[in-house]
Amino acid sequence: MVEHTSFFEFIGEHLMQFGSYTAFANMTAGHLIMISVGLVFIYLAVAKEYEPLLLIPIGFGIILGNIPFYPGLKVGIYESGSVLNYLYFGVLQGVYPPLIFLGIGAMTDFSALLSNPRLVLIGAAAQLGIFAAYGAALALGFSPAEAGAIGIIGGADGPTAIFLSSKLAPDLMGAIAISAYSYMALVPVIQPPIMRWLTNSKERTIRMKPPRTVSRTEKIIFPILGLLLTCFIVPSGLPLLGMLFFGNLLKESGVTKRLADTAKGPMIDVVTILLGLTVGASTQATTFLTAKSIGIFALGAFSFMIATSGGVLFVKFMNLFLKEGNKINPLIGNSGVSAVPDSARVSQVVGLEYDKTNHLLMHAMGPNVAGVIGSAVAAGIMLSFLY
Amino acid sequence: MISIKAILKAWKFVFIVMIFVLGINETQAQSGSDLKINEILVYNDSSCVDDFGMHSSWIEIFNTAYNSVEIGGLYLTNDLSNPKKYYIPKGDPRTIIPPRGFIVFWADSRPTRGILHLNFGLQHSKTLALFDANGRTMIDVVKTDKDHKPNITYGRIEDGGTAMGFLDKNTPSASNDTRVKVTGAQIFSEMDPYGGGLAIIAMSVVFSALTILYFVFKNASRIIALDFKKLFSRKKKIDIAVTPKEDIPGEVCAAIAMALYSYRTTLHDIENTVLTIKKISKTYSPWSSKIYGLRKLPRGN
Repeated sequence: MVEHTSFFEFIGEHLMQFGSYTAFANMTAGHLIMISVGLVFIYLAVAKEYEPLLLIPIGFGIILGNIPFYPGLKVGIYESGSVLNYLYFGVLQGVYPPLIFLGIGAMTDFSALLSNPRLVLIGAAAQLGIFAAYGAALALGFSPAEAGAIGIIGGADGPTAIFLSSKLAPDLMGAIAISAYSYMALVPVIQPPIMRWLTNSKERTIRMKPPRTVSRTEKIIFPILGLLLTCFIVPSGLPLLGMLFFGNLLKESGVTKRLADTAKGPMIDVVTILLGLTVGASTQATTFLTAKSIGIFALGAFSFMIATSGGVLFVKFMNLFLKEGNKINPLIGNSGVSAVPDSARVSQVVGLEYDKTNHLLMHAMGPNVAGVIGSAVAAGIMLSFLY
Repeated sequence: MISIKAILKAWKFVFIVMIFVLGINETQAQSGSDLKINEILVYNDSSCVDDFGMHSSWIEIFNTAYNSVEIGGLYLTNDLSNPKKYYIPKGDPRTIIPPRGFIVFWADSRPTRGILHLNFGLQHSKTLALFDANGRTMIDVVKTDKDHKPNITYGRIEDGGTAMGFLDKNTPSASNDTRVKVTGAQIFSEMDPYGGGLAIIAMSVVFSALTILYFVFKNASRIIALDFKKLFSRKKKIDIAVTPKEDIPGEVCAAIAMALYSYRTTLHDIENTVLTIKKISKTYSPWSSKIYGLRKLPRGN
């Protein structure tokens, strides 16, 4: 037993000990930088309304994860046995992303795609960003598995990025997730200049045929055939594609309204909260503020630009073979990245700048939802080759 | 009299139940069938020691499945005429083999040393077999009459594989395949340092998958619109009198609508001759009594 000369000495000693446990005593410049980043995220979400459903949980998670503490108290996200560590399990083991996909499936209407199926090819072309970023990451010295995980940022799909990075490069997952979600929020800033640069005024005013009405049978068959056709080719994409199509079948079957409502409502909300908060909290300054993270952010921006360019240029390429009247407006090419529905909204806004009566939103939703399928397929390919 | 239809229905039911029962049996057997005798050491002079510090013969069993398998309840034997020679007790956590995991038994003829110590040895055995819980179904068998050398194990070249042979290393509770394995990522790193190969392969696959979707759904509406009944039904030569389309005057339409309306409104779903017997009484209960109401405070004296 420790002996104390006096009671006041005992009190003083324990107050000092308590002081060493506080965040003030363990604070570093890195923690302050990360807390500032978290605050910026919250500001962007509240003031600019950039992806608030994602940026608020992630921003708050960044602050939460960067409050310094004395190690060993089982409070940190990386300390086994802590509550945050248990919640982080869903990220590490890739549980949350397929659940998010279930909700996305239940809230996505694939009618735009079904009414004009050729738009699905734009969703394939926009995946070019993933592989361009993969090559660039290899050139920067990342290992193939790390490069694959970084490349998927170009798919503009947060859950897919988390799913793949949790398998291929778990140590980079925080940076990859933050990068993916940041650029998804910045879609309205990144994409328009590229779209304008790659198109001429005549192309921007192309009017597309109005989409036809899609029958209920087609809508029901789509998730079943979609699952069979894509997962037979890329079974490694099963967790994401399976849940996406399952969610869509719940919606379109018309007889499981309650399940569809739960999947697209309370369930996706709960998972989004847990995913956002824990991904944010995983960005502890000690593990996040590295040269690799800066590289990941640079590559993320690069992959987004290539993906947008790929989509727009592919539409222009398709137009070479299409008859007058059937041509596609290249301003919907950007929506081949799977940031649903932000990139489709960008197509609409940019399109209206050049023709006030040319509404591209419904047309852009086709490649947009195809991009979700395309990025999940691309993630499956990466997983099967690099895991 | 029981009709033929009823008999057919009953047979259908029996058939479905039989398939279900057989399916269950198959499923149960499948977990045991996932086990393979993976590696054995007959003469152990200087290889690993058991929990009593003894150099004994040992048998390694591998779970080929991606789920845990309980080996308890099965039988090990070195005599095919006595399949139930050693019963592996149930209920011990050690008998649950993890996915793609291993369990090692010591063939030292000392079953009193624990459940992992068998009641037979390998040195004078010709076969070693694993039997299912029924004691009849053989799960796996390995011939042990080879020219075994001390401290050289015999087993499957790859875990759970079919090729058998003497192994380079003793690997109890570990994979038999001790070769350096090159991962897919390492191969790509070596053969495709700039990522061009992967990009070509992956983009081809993504395009193929989505192109198939395109072709299927391009034609889906046409296929759905087909009238299959008409397509497959036999064409009957019946002359249908085709009535020429005529414009029906508005007065006639109004008269038909009025007639339909009158007909529907005069229809009775339920006849109004139903008698309703209703007991009107007020049953007394202290629970509903105002006298015993809890809100009524007792008066003070």
